[in-house]
Amino acid sequence: MAFYFVKRLGLSALVVGTVLLVLFSLLHMIPGNPAILALGTRATPEAIAEYTARMRLDEPVWVQFVHFVSQALRGDLGADVFSNRPVTAVIGDRIGFSLALILTGMGWAVLLGVPLGCLAAVRPRSWVDRVTGILSVGTIAVPSFLVAIWSLLLFSLQLHWLPAIGAGEPGDLSDQLSHLILPAFAIGLGWVGYLARMVRASMLEVLGEPYIRSARAFGLPPRRIVGGYALRVAILPTITLIGMGFGGLISSAVFAEIIFARPGVGKMIFDAVSDRNFPLVQGGVLVATAFYILVVLVSDLVIAWLDPRVRSSL
Amino acid sequence: MPLSPVADAGARRDRRDRLRRFLSDWQAVVGLALVILFVASAVFAPWIAPYDPNAMDIPARMSGPSWAHLAGTDQLGRDTFSRILHGGRVALLIAAIGVSVSLVVGLILGMIAGFGPRWLDSLLLLVFDGVRSFPSIILALATVALTGPSLTVVLAIVIITSIPGYARVARTATLALRHAEFILAERSLGAGTTRILLHHMMPNVIGPLLILAAMDVPVVVSIEAGLSFLGIGVLPPRSSWGTILNEGYLLIRDAPWMVVAGGIPLILTTLGFTFLGEALRDTFDPRMGRER
Amino acid sequence: MDDTILDVSGLSLDFRTGRGRIRALRDVSFPVRRGRILGIVGESGSGKSTVLWSILGLLARNAEVTSGRIAFQGRDLLGLDDEALRAIRGEKISVVFQDPMTSQIPVLPYARQFSDILYRRSMSRAEKRDAAVELLRRVGIPDPEDRIDAYPHQFSGGMRQRAAIAMSMLTGPNLLLADEPTTALDVTMEAQMIDLMRDLRAAFDTTIVVVSHNLGLIAEMCDDVVVMYAGEVVETGEVRDIFHNARHPYTRALLECDPARVERTGGRLPVIPGDIPDLSASLTGCIFAARCPRAMPICRTETPPDVARGTGHARCHLLEGPGADPDWPPPAGVVAVGRTDPPPAAVRPKRSGEPLLEVRGLNVRFGTMGPIRARIRGVRDPFVDAVLDVDLSVAPGETLALVGESGSGKSTLGRAILNLLPVNRGSVSFDGQSVENRPERRFKPLRRDMAMMFQDPVGSLSPRKSVRALITEPLVIHGAGGRDLNAEAERLADMVRLPRNFLSRYPHELSGGQARRVGVARALSLNPRLIIADEPTAGLDVSVQGEILNLMADLQAEHGLGYLIITHNLPVVRHIADRIAIMYLGRMVEEGPAAEVFAAPAHPYTHALVSGVPYPDPDRRRPPSSAISGEVPSLLRRPPGCDFAPRCPFARPACREAKPPTVHLSPERRHACLFPLVPPERQN
Repeated sequence: MAFYFVKRLGLSALVVGTVLLVLFSLLHMIPGNPAILALGTRATPEAIAEYTARMRLDEPVWVQFVHFVSQALRGDLGADVFSNRPVTAVIGDRIGFSLALILTGMGWAVLLGVPLGCLAAVRPRSWVDRVTGILSVGTIAVPSFLVAIWSLLLFSLQLHWLPAIGAGEPGDLSDQLSHLILPAFAIGLGWVGYLARMVRASMLEVLGEPYIRSARAFGLPPRRIVGGYALRVAILPTITLIGMGFGGLISSAVFAEIIFARPGVGKMIFDAVSDRNFPLVQGGVLVATAFYILVVLVSDLVIAWLDPRVRSSL
Repeated sequence: MPLSPVADAGARRDRRDRLRRFLSDWQAVVGLALVILFVASAVFAPWIAPYDPNAMDIPARMSGPSWAHLAGTDQLGRDTFSRILHGGRVALLIAAIGVSVSLVVGLILGMIAGFGPRWLDSLLLLVFDGVRSFPSIILALATVALTGPSLTVVLAIVIITSIPGYARVARTATLALRHAEFILAERSLGAGTTRILLHHMMPNVIGPLLILAAMDVPVVVSIEAGLSFLGIGVLPPRSSWGTILNEGYLLIRDAPWMVVAGGIPLILTTLGFTFLGEALRDTFDPRMGRER
Repeated sequence: MDDTILDVSGLSLDFRTGRGRIRALRDVSFPVRRGRILGIVGESGSGKSTVLWSILGLLARNAEVTSGRIAFQGRDLLGLDDEALRAIRGEKISVVFQDPMTSQIPVLPYARQFSDILYRRSMSRAEKRDAAVELLRRVGIPDPEDRIDAYPHQFSGGMRQRAAIAMSMLTGPNLLLADEPTTALDVTMEAQMIDLMRDLRAAFDTTIVVVSHNLGLIAEMCDDVVVMYAGEVVETGEVRDIFHNARHPYTRALLECDPARVERTGGRLPVIPGDIPDLSASLTGCIFAARCPRAMPICRTETPPDVARGTGHARCHLLEGPGADPDWPPPAGVVAVGRTDPPPAAVRPKRSGEPLLEVRGLNVRFGTMGPIRARIRGVRDPFVDAVLDVDLSVAPGETLALVGESGSGKSTLGRAILNLLPVNRGSVSFDGQSVENRPERRFKPLRRDMAMMFQDPVGSLSPRKSVRALITEPLVIHGAGGRDLNAEAERLADMVRLPRNFLSRYPHELSGGQARRVGVARALSLNPRLIIADEPTAGLDVSVQGEILNLMADLQAEHGLGYLIITHNLPVVRHIADRIAIMYLGRMVEEGPAAEVFAAPAHPYTHALVSGVPYPDPDRRRPPSSAISGEVPSLLRRPPGCDFAPRCPFARPACREAKPPTVHLSPERRHACLFPLVPPERQN
């Protein structure tokens, strides 16, 4: 178990390291002076000189990289080109909006999709199954950014039920929540269908296993067989799927933040790319990657915790 | 080397059975129809589009749907319907190149991972998993920050993010076959690695990959549309479904028909390929099917 | 009838499929008497398991009971709703399944699985746990207080099946159903399970219904027998009546085909020609008529009468009505039904002196973990020896049987000989030249002379190739330039008696027996001199396995082939092998002429194997608790001293100290035991 944990952590560190390397080379692969890229074209010669010295730009590339990594590890990701605020502070302001969006989006999808999948699997070919089947294909078929645009058009602009843009007044929780509904709906909708399908397929497979037949042969009540036995096994691949799926969810969240002008990290990266604000791009991408890796790690550990076979093979 | 082609009643009967089963599935028929519609409209866009997609008609600008302009016009008076038809060409191009390149590369990499030494497998798997699940939009944004937007970047992103999916499936299938008894039997008869890979593994690996390819087309089309929507994919004035949505989004209060019309072909294409892919899977791989 | 606990009467059942209705059960009737063990015996497709599932009310969704009733303690189970059935399942009727590896949920500990079965009882958690611990102890699980918290994957196969039996007995059911309870187990485990179930039956006063294809198991443990064929009950009766005085031609044929009951060795085995009928077609007359050598015109048109005879019933025109034959049934022991023509094959060519295959001191080892992990875990020697110091030889025209339970390394040995696995130490010579660990390029020419048949008849055929491509592939690989492959395919198909129209079929369209023929044809296509056959009869019904064994014997006689047959099936070995070699934990423990070894085993393990196989004759039951205890240990925990010592009933302290050396009893006979069982006067 400890071996496994160390190995997993090592792998995660490796991925983060790779991303750091890519981000680092980002600045060096673009023609032009990295200092100007990092500081913007309006930077004064003194600032450029100071930056060159601070980032050791006149030293060999590998020294620069080691420096870059050690600074990143210490939480120094550079400064916003325009406001000169530390990148970590800028991200700190925004990350809450992104986390709230991603977790709400996945949360409602799991709460709806998993039970739907179970229901459909327990009664194959019933109306629940058919409706779930059609709904899930339908929801998977619409790209999330289109859901976002259309729900913006329908619920905000036409029906005026919910606010269109922004994240709500700071401190006003109900206003913030009302601003969260549409983007979370948009990024979660496809997942409802996807999860329902996956849980259904997984459940159907498990329900056909001999051990479920044994449970039925021992007269266990259907509720316990489905909830206590089948779901217990069927949920395992679903957890992996959710962990892996966070990558896609982050992508959807970026779109949703842009479309609903929600001041999260995704919108920040997008704006930074348009403004060629490289330190922000670097910081944002790093944070997104780290978040994603953390999620995958957690999902692997949850599986190891839930599945005794995995646990003892570690 | 090729054996004399054998008139094969059993296989023929099987194929006929499958075709009948396939066509009796409404999803398959709808899927096939939508896919044909998508391909045909893209290929024949220059002949069936009522207007030149870039012809401006300032007096008719921002007009809603009408018989003259089925999907209205944009801020420059260009006919949205014609632009959608032409946008389909971009989608088709990306889908065709992206899917076929990633399929071939994925197949090769996947079979290498599945059949090669363990360390190579672990390494490739790490790369596949890393790339597959990495947020593609973040990758795209980072790349565009570096290179600037272009069709080539879109294609590159599409291929890079799709390869791991194919490779994963090919690897799993190869790995399962690697220890199958019939592979050992082939080795005991003296079949070499090339023969085993090409004659005995590939036919069993490629099936699921083709089904995956059908399901992957909508993903690829959505990525293109999404990147173009953000303005980091296909650039105006060239029309793509993404750029139409982009322009529509900016005019969403005054010309809502643009985002509606721009999204419909995207959904139809996605539905078509999803239905088709699922029907194919149910027909050819009953183990994974809905009837299970 | 007060002593009837379960009465199945007139049960008919259809499966609705895409290709029409399959009439899986037709008019199945039999009573189960209280306190007895009833065996339902039949080959694949007989519907024997379907009967079991109907009793439990756990049929597949596409099953439809069209008529009949299943009365259990006076209530018709078929008329009960789900709720009422659930109250009976697990409480009054319980089940043991075939495969303990898949029939227990992997993610829950046994404690939870046991207490869930007691969910209806108003007992405290501790009481439930105590009850479960008690029963685990009763079925022979050591340290049950601790082991109850284990998960199924932490138990060995034998322990899992013990746990499964404990689960089924937990509620003290009136009726226990067992579906092929020993089929997934090794010989020594099978004997233990039979003892355990007999023991529990006596202790709990439970009635048992066992479903099996294994005539030995049925004869060993049952009081009453139901014989099924293609969805019908053809004969019922008490066990002695069935085994000594069978009245239905199918029952006769089944018994005659069982190699264990064919006393004469070396000749051809009787077989039942033909295949089970298509149950989706319309059925008239006797269901067995198409394969029955005694079939009369009336058999194909009229449903046979159900005739009460002796202790049961039989459905046959020979017994009553216009077709009745006063001389039927013939006395026991006369082969009356099984086909034995063409007459026994010519005498085998004399074995020549020079061995075809010679293996000396062969070792095969596997790594158990990567070098990094081993270093981290502090494992100095991360290997297990799957094959240890094995010597054997096969002469042309000779059959050597390599016998052992799972984990004995017998399949590994076969693969290592064929250079499919690297050899760690020792030598393999073929035709006098040393061939071990040759690079494939240099080994390839030898593959013309050494062919292998694999265990899984269908799974060892490349699934997307036609039979024609499959059986000519060796010719293609070895460059049969200019030969007409079509003609070759037909020649080979004729040789293995596979109809030519099967050449265009694909593996999944073949039955086990047909696929096995394809495997034989492939192995023979290059006229090899040695064939290594891994469980050649695995997965085949008794009536079919005879055909394959006869075919192999004919081909051996014709071509002077040497056979190395790897198997755990002792009755088959006794019948076909010239010599046998017994393996345990990768070592050879005994070798010698088959007849001698069977008659007087020297090694206690051989003795356990030979006496452990239940014999298909109720008069030759093993004495209770004669089974050897324990299980084949993991290769990771090889015992010090003799590998078999921990399980050996005759082990003495010396056995646990050093590996016993190999001792020759005669030039042909050797064993590795310090205290062999053969009488001292035979040792020299």
